[in-house]
Amino acid sequence: MTNVQQTYLKIPKRWKINLIFSIAMLVALIYSFAGSEINILRLSSVFYSFKYMILAYTKINWDLVLGMGIYPFSDGVVYMALETLAMAFFGTLLGGILAIPLGFLSSETVGGKTGSRIGSAVLVLIRVFPEIILAVVLLKGFGINSMTCVMAIGIHSVGMLGKLFAEAIDNMDKLPLEALDAVGANRWQKIRFGILPQIAADFSSVTLYRLDINVRSASVLGIVAAGGFGAMLSYASAPENQSVLAALMVVIVPMILIMDAISGYLRGKLI
Amino acid sequence: MTRFTLTSGKVIVKPFNKIWIVLFVILIIVVVLGQYIYFPEYLTLAEIWPFLKKMFSPRNDIFGHRTWGDYFNYIFTIIPYYLLKTIKMSIGGTVIGSAIALPFSVLAAKNVFKNKWITSPFRFIMNIIRTIPAAVMVIVAVFIVGTGNLAGIIGFSLFSFGIMAKMLYEVIETSDMNSFEALESTGANKTQAFRYALLPQIFPIFISYLIYVFEINIRASALLAFVGVESIGSIIQVGLDGGDFDYIGGVVIVLTFVIIIIQLFSNWIRGKLQ
Repeated sequence: MTNVQQTYLKIPKRWKINLIFSIAMLVALIYSFAGSEINILRLSSVFYSFKYMILAYTKINWDLVLGMGIYPFSDGVVYMALETLAMAFFGTLLGGILAIPLGFLSSETVGGKTGSRIGSAVLVLIRVFPEIILAVVLLKGFGINSMTCVMAIGIHSVGMLGKLFAEAIDNMDKLPLEALDAVGANRWQKIRFGILPQIAADFSSVTLYRLDINVRSASVLGIVAAGGFGAMLSYASAPENQSVLAALMVVIVPMILIMDAISGYLRGKLI
Repeated sequence: MTRFTLTSGKVIVKPFNKIWIVLFVILIIVVVLGQYIYFPEYLTLAEIWPFLKKMFSPRNDIFGHRTWGDYFNYIFTIIPYYLLKTIKMSIGGTVIGSAIALPFSVLAAKNVFKNKWITSPFRFIMNIIRTIPAAVMVIVAVFIVGTGNLAGIIGFSLFSFGIMAKMLYEVIETSDMNSFEALESTGANKTQAFRYALLPQIFPIFISYLIYVFEINIRASALLAFVGVESIGSIIQVGLDGGDFDYIGGVVIVLTFVIIIIQLFSNWIRGKLQ
């Protein structure tokens, strides 16, 4: 046998794993469609609905979008977009501030072995808890207004931000800490002069990334609590109110695109 | 920033004092939270604890009297029915969305297609789809195909497509292109080169993203009940309307377990693949 043939025979045989994987995916797919009531009547109405949907986008009620004419500005979609951005911004700010102590605690550099274990456990618990249920619980404490959303977003953000903060602290250069030890700095001085200057850029970049996520969740979380697009979205979920949904989409899509662009630009500047 | 010009002609720029950022942040917090000093009746934090107590114990008032047996019966019989619906929708959406995202992410990768005119339109479409939140996507799907599982699957497919395509083309752009070029130089076309050079590289990452997207879909599906698709959120909605807070507590317990199981499974599979 030639050298090429030998090498060719040695290629790993992955077809078994691939087969199992494909079959599993196919079975899952077929199973997921079971009971979804697909029938000719429904499929035949799809094109009609699609046509109607496109029609709704061609004649958008700009008075409703901008809050002019018979609609007061505080009922307009643009005002809701501003409220959503404010909610996301304040929620992220709150989450970022709360995440700093938890991040320090759960990093091994500052918190030590026990501290990091306790901190990580708390962070995992916060991450696992779904945001919508957090909003439902906080509804009792803050009432039906946008503050509920802000608090839900803020508390939920802590989970991811704290974890990423802790990773940033553990991955940084430890030599400045030794130098500070050598000159007799205490723990707070070490955090202030040894850790904070190194990770400030990382923190900001992670927080900006979280702001992106929070703008998205703030725009739908209002369905449960209030504030932002919430009330309008649940109104638009009725099929006959497609024109309202069109008016919402015209604002939501550019808003998130612009937010992504801004935070991407700022993150690029930071690193 | 203030600039000082010394007599020697040297310009010194005084660095921006970071204390102003801190003061600005404190000002925002004081302004937002300060409303509760003037309107303390809006802040009813004391009600959270009794609500949590109601969530994790059987209902016991004049409208409903349940025992712990009823509570656990509910968790083990009714909630799994809704959970299954949720999981079905998430699986269907994740698999379809990711399957469509795989070819599209190649078309959007700058290192596979050097031509800007091919990648830019695909990137634009993906960015537009990615901006729309899952719940809004499902509202659109409900309008097109009517309520039910199918709307959830279609909405989640589009949503998963958005996330997956973006993450995948970033992975493809950072992957090693040497073998791809080697295959192309032997006369393979782009599809063959992708199949034998890039797919083995990105496949493990693809699988771990698949589970990640699945988890996001499970979380998002709780909100679907509020836009007209039956899911695990239906229990939350009905519970909020009828005061059956213990059922909401049951959902919390089940959902938390499901997400923990998915994360453990994802960790296990990631360990296997590497």
